[in-house]
Amino acid sequence: MSAAAPTADHDHGHDDHHHDDHHPNFLQKYFFSTDHKTIGIQYGLVSLIFLLIGFCLMMVMRWSIAYPHEPLPEWMSFFFSEDWKARWLQDGMVKGETYNMFGAMHGTIMVFLGVVPLGFAAFGNYVTPLQIGAIDMAFPKLNMMSFWLYFVGGLLMLASFFLNTGAAQSGWTNYSPLAGIQQSGAPNQWMTGQTWWLLAMVFLISSSLLGSVNFITTIINLRAKGLTWMRLPFFVWAMLVTGFLLLLAFPPLEAAALMQLSDRVFGSSFFMPSGLVTGNGALEVAGSGSPLLYQHLFWFLGHPEVYVLLLPAIACVAEIIPCNTRKPLWGYRPMVWSVLILGFLSFIVWAHHMYLTGMGPVISTFFQTTTVLISIPSVILLTSLIISMWGGSIRFTVPMLWATAFIPMFGIGGLTGLPLAFNLVGLHLHDTYYVIGHFHYVVAPGILFGLFAGVYHWYPKVTGRYMNNLLGHLHFWPSLIFINLLFFPMLIQGMAGFHRRWYNGGDAYLAQASESANVFGNTVEQYLPLNILMSNAAFWLALAQLPFIINVFFAWRRGKKVENDNPWNATTLEWATPTPPGHGNFTFEPSVYRGPYEYSRPDSEEDYMPQWHEPSQSEPSPAPVEKESDATVA
Amino acid sequence: MDIPYTVTARKDTGLYNAKVGIWLFLASEVMLFGGLFSGYVFLRVYADFPWPERALPVVPGLINTFILIGSSVTIVFAWAALKMRKWRQFQVFMIITLLCAGLFMVLKGIEYKAKWSHQAVRMKDFVVIEGHTHKATIDNTGHIHHYHPEGEHGEKGHAAIGDEANGMILVAAEGDSHGEEGHHSDEGLTQSEPFEFNRVVFKADSVTVDLEKFYDPVIRDLMKQAQDQGKSIVLTGDLYGRSTHEVDEKLLASKGDLLSLGMLKKLRAVHLDAKAHNAAIKTKQNRKAWAQLRGSLPKDQKGAPSYKIKGDLVLDEEFNKFLVSAPSSVRFEIMDAAEEGTEKTAASATFVLKPREVREGAESSSLRDGTLLEGELDAKHSQIEMAADAIDFRFVAQRAVEKGIDPEVAIQNTWLIKNNPEVKELWAEHKSHIDKLAKELEKHGFDKNGKPKQFPTDTERYRMGWQELVNMGEGKEVMGVFSGFAGPNHKKDYAKHFPEIVVPREETNLESKFTPRWNNYYAIYFLITGLHGLHVIGGALVLGHFLFCGKKMYLNNPERLANRVEVGGLFWHFVDLVWIFLFPILYLM
Repeated sequence: MSAAAPTADHDHGHDDHHHDDHHPNFLQKYFFSTDHKTIGIQYGLVSLIFLLIGFCLMMVMRWSIAYPHEPLPEWMSFFFSEDWKARWLQDGMVKGETYNMFGAMHGTIMVFLGVVPLGFAAFGNYVTPLQIGAIDMAFPKLNMMSFWLYFVGGLLMLASFFLNTGAAQSGWTNYSPLAGIQQSGAPNQWMTGQTWWLLAMVFLISSSLLGSVNFITTIINLRAKGLTWMRLPFFVWAMLVTGFLLLLAFPPLEAAALMQLSDRVFGSSFFMPSGLVTGNGALEVAGSGSPLLYQHLFWFLGHPEVYVLLLPAIACVAEIIPCNTRKPLWGYRPMVWSVLILGFLSFIVWAHHMYLTGMGPVISTFFQTTTVLISIPSVILLTSLIISMWGGSIRFTVPMLWATAFIPMFGIGGLTGLPLAFNLVGLHLHDTYYVIGHFHYVVAPGILFGLFAGVYHWYPKVTGRYMNNLLGHLHFWPSLIFINLLFFPMLIQGMAGFHRRWYNGGDAYLAQASESANVFGNTVEQYLPLNILMSNAAFWLALAQLPFIINVFFAWRRGKKVENDNPWNATTLEWATPTPPGHGNFTFEPSVYRGPYEYSRPDSEEDYMPQWHEPSQSEPSPAPVEKESDATVA
Repeated sequence: MDIPYTVTARKDTGLYNAKVGIWLFLASEVMLFGGLFSGYVFLRVYADFPWPERALPVVPGLINTFILIGSSVTIVFAWAALKMRKWRQFQVFMIITLLCAGLFMVLKGIEYKAKWSHQAVRMKDFVVIEGHTHKATIDNTGHIHHYHPEGEHGEKGHAAIGDEANGMILVAAEGDSHGEEGHHSDEGLTQSEPFEFNRVVFKADSVTVDLEKFYDPVIRDLMKQAQDQGKSIVLTGDLYGRSTHEVDEKLLASKGDLLSLGMLKKLRAVHLDAKAHNAAIKTKQNRKAWAQLRGSLPKDQKGAPSYKIKGDLVLDEEFNKFLVSAPSSVRFEIMDAAEEGTEKTAASATFVLKPREVREGAESSSLRDGTLLEGELDAKHSQIEMAADAIDFRFVAQRAVEKGIDPEVAIQNTWLIKNNPEVKELWAEHKSHIDKLAKELEKHGFDKNGKPKQFPTDTERYRMGWQELVNMGEGKEVMGVFSGFAGPNHKKDYAKHFPEIVVPREETNLESKFTPRWNNYYAIYFLITGLHGLHVIGGALVLGHFLFCGKKMYLNNPERLANRVEVGGLFWHFVDLVWIFLFPILYLM
């Protein structure tokens, strides 16, 4: 007998989650919130803290490179306990294993806990639903879960520093078999930093899986009325592609992490080749595993991950430039197609990280070709951004400064990557500081500058107050100078042959100076003194971040109040909300009537035409957006 | 304020939110399993050992395949019932689905268990012996008892190692219950006992503990084993130390103190404090020296790289007098636990250790936490004793072919054939059987190179499996379909045909149960099926939630519940699909 079939009644359909909508208590409001804006802010703050931690690790490493025989200065070691220093420093100097540990964790923290959560999760969470006119993400509870998984994963990473074995020490790539046998002398393999790295990664991967499912669903299904695909702000397109990259690229790393975990704690040989011998003699493992398999699985994630880092930054810049040049984004449609193609190509370039593994010339050539191909959409994106500024009357607000600096900085990063795409050049440059310089140019002055631009740009919407202008300039100019002093010499040193894993700044290499000369003489030695310049630039760069930290907290309560809900006179939907937006975001049901970058239209009195403004008599009724934007571009 | 499209589909996309979400999630899952399957292909293609083909029991896998396919059908019926608003029908089909999931996991568990209680040894010459390793129990009269399948005393199993009365009183390693009463009777252990693990036996006079690395469970195990033999672990000399220069050196532990975790922890604390103190002093010393050195340089060289100027560094010796010392490792000796007041006498204790947790040597062995045992390895009792249910020469043959040696010669030269007459006999019989088979196959004709078109496979030629062992020689046993349901069957009638093999530890290079450790085939098998099993459990939990907690939503908003079941069903189909790929790849190929 079946129960009487009730009729569907939508009004009662949400009985299981409407109780916390209106009167959340303190915990629900600030900690276990399902509101995309709160989650975005949580992500933002936590990831900024992780960026700071990653930066501190880097300073210790830079000290060891520049002053290899000198004990860590007091100002840098005050936050380590005496016991910890006794374990990890040799008479106050950085030990090789400590350097390795900091190196591995610097990379891990910066990439997985800092930049990705800041770009994709923080900005994506806060801005995407607003820009598409949605009241929240499609799955608010999953969104909250995603944040807490990230948080737990991050804590696990940090906690691993305090284990007896210390944190992971095999580079942020965690290559096997090194990572498989690292710390294998510990009596309990579950309590080693190397194992916790893998466990934490499982948390982070689950977090990004939930996040990306949520983003894509939201963008596909919750767009406001009239917001057709070609009316989406470029930011949303970038988030959509980023979501797909995370969704599809991370799982193979999860597979690799599980295999490595099994190698470590169950003694399997997925990545352990036959006949492996270590300092303790031959390993008692079955063998026949493949270290190359790990690298394939890792870089299958690793390369799309680069674009996961990049796209949110370029997305922020693409919003800020048209707003501050008062011109439409030049080449909106080519940019959209480029970002889609970029997303696709990023899945088939991974093995250019592996030219030196002996994959064979055929495979190398294939990946060399695809790698060169991927520079085409990247260049289209960057060129469009440059041309967007052409002929505009640019307002050099602080966010615009960062966005402007992003372009040449990312340009250097991108162009220095081209030689690395070629496997012959790769033989020479592989594992040198040239590579370090290249990807740091992409990530630090490139991506982070773009994200800083985003922080300054959307801060008024989040808090209702502007960030301080003077502090903003005090942040920007020193950062620009010191970051170049830090990274540009790396390119020079790298070409001279400076190896990326020398913990003592090439000192051991120089001890064998007679053997280290090549046909050009001892090319490394003459560039070693640059280490001191670079390291000091890093320390000054740290100081240059202080104005930012002060600014974020100072402006929160004391900053200048915004005059209206749309302080930058921008066109996209997030500026149609109250400031700061309340629960549910919009006070009216948003409808979209035109493309996202309608600045300086000749037929309009004001120099911008927001997407949500109903067309007036003079404006023709909303035509298909393709023609409209073509006309604007022309 | 509600999220739109949770129940009804959006017009232009034609989808409700959860459906978009589940397809995306499944895409991600495809990449996860895709990564693992790629791993399988990679490992198999580049394997340098004979990849086990059709090594898994097909029957449970096959049954599981049909179970999962069936449950994929019933979940659709359950969804359809909801769409038709037939709650009771929904319940019935959902229960069937969940029962299928449960049955699947039970069969999986049986399969796993059979592997975890089955062991293999790889010899240094790459002979592989599979079977069950004997666990000896040593009773309190000092008799060592071995299990042997016939249940009679002193024939096969006891030929190699006789009883030995040397006064040892041990309990079984790990302190588990199987070594207790009743198992050392003449009837041997019963079949249900997990008699598969072996050990390293070391007779130690002294124990040296590394204070930084020692691990509580290891120390506890040593203390317990010593205590059970009536021995104590005693400190050999007085220990002095201090943690800062401000206090005087004091007695930390005195000669004759018994080993205890409390004592070790106290010593460790002093050691670590002293270490931190010294490090801080030396850091200060170093900093001062560098400040002086940089200060003495001319202005234009103040920023000189440290490697150029470190030669001129002068350390201030004044600091050295603040350095303190404390012991970093402690040496204990084994003593007879004497009566109160009488002098203890030096003795030795026999420790039974797990092979993977010890790096054994003839005179000293180090445990996994760096604890050092000194004394003498009891090589005889550290031997591996097995009732072999398979002897496999494929690896030997493969390596012989790689080196250009005749595989038959290589096999004749293996340690096992040379040292075990019983195996030698079996091998001769097997060979004559295979030669006969090869002759028979020759009637299918020869190819143009003069090679027979059909010939015995490597597995047939070089492996003696358990069924073959049972049926070799005089007695033939009748075996049904289910006699080897989840692996080799060790019931008495069969097991009496399995040769008893004793292998010295130094002749082996890998011993393992059939876990991920044994080889990459089992590693990938356990990883993929384990992950798949987790998906089954997770899916069943979600479906169970719909079944047991869905009534309220059914009454309020049945369409929404139907949507949820549809989404859950899509996931369930995916889980089924993964298995349909898994089964042929792991079980049949």
